[in-house]
Amino acid sequence: MNEQNKLLKMIQNYSFWVTEIVLYLDTHPGCRQAMKHYRKYTKLYNDAVCQYEEKFGPLTMYNNRSDDCWKWANEPWPWEL
Amino acid sequence: MWIYEKKLQYPVKIKNPNPALAKLIITQLGGPDGELGASMRYLNQRYSMPCRSVAAALTDIGTEELAHLEIIAAIVNQLTRNLSIEDIKKSGFDAYFVDHTTGVYPVSAAGVPFDMKYIASKGDPITDLHEDLAAEQKARTTYDNLLRLIDDPDVCDPIKFLRQREVVHYQRFGESLGKVLETLDSRNFYGYNPAFDKARLSGNAQVPFGKR
Repeated sequence: MNEQNKLLKMIQNYSFWVTEIVLYLDTHPGCRQAMKHYRKYTKLYNDAVCQYEEKFGPLTMYNNRSDDCWKWANEPWPWEL
Repeated sequence: MWIYEKKLQYPVKIKNPNPALAKLIITQLGGPDGELGASMRYLNQRYSMPCRSVAAALTDIGTEELAHLEIIAAIVNQLTRNLSIEDIKKSGFDAYFVDHTTGVYPVSAAGVPFDMKYIASKGDPITDLHEDLAAEQKARTTYDNLLRLIDDPDVCDPIKFLRQREVVHYQRFGESLGKVLETLDSRNFYGYNPAFDKARLSGNAQVPFGKR
């Protein structure tokens, strides 16, 4: 697996963790342990996203980091990877 | 994948309920030229677009249509708040009320539930982009018709914003069609379907999908 796919896999893992914890917190908003997990995994997710976007282009339309290259449209779409 | 942003793309703040108007505006939720159809049309067409920049336009416009769906739902919701049974009877909202109370359900102005038959995904970029150009104009006409019937400025304001977005989307789809045509043989644009036939695209086009 190349570096891009490895990083992407990590982001998919962290983002699934966040999704799962968010669903749980929606019906258990007072659970402190879940809140702790939420903080941990959103940080891991955000750090991994930063790392990915620096190297391989934006994951959302707000994060095209380069000023002179429109990578959002021109890097591969997820169904091409 | 998608992430929800807890905000409307354009604010909706309606002071006076008007169930008769809600019955008409709901057509942009579940009607033949509504925002639900628009988002499904563009997001499903993306996979057969030979240019990445056109797939980008479909992704970004399709996503914006989901935001418009939410604006229409918010308008319908605010127009049907705090209704009395008398309001419901007088306004002709009673037929909708029987089936859905004041819940939001995608139907046309005539009460026909949303149907995926309103959209097309033909697997041919030229055909699909023409469908999209027509769809934006049909939605624009619908908003123009609604604006002829609305006299509440609180409702006009977001509807005018949505109408304007149809015009912008039409513009971007026109440019997208131009891009696709550039990649084809100008003597016969229909010589092959770049989404299906494996012939290579010519000219200074975007990198075709098959090429990694």
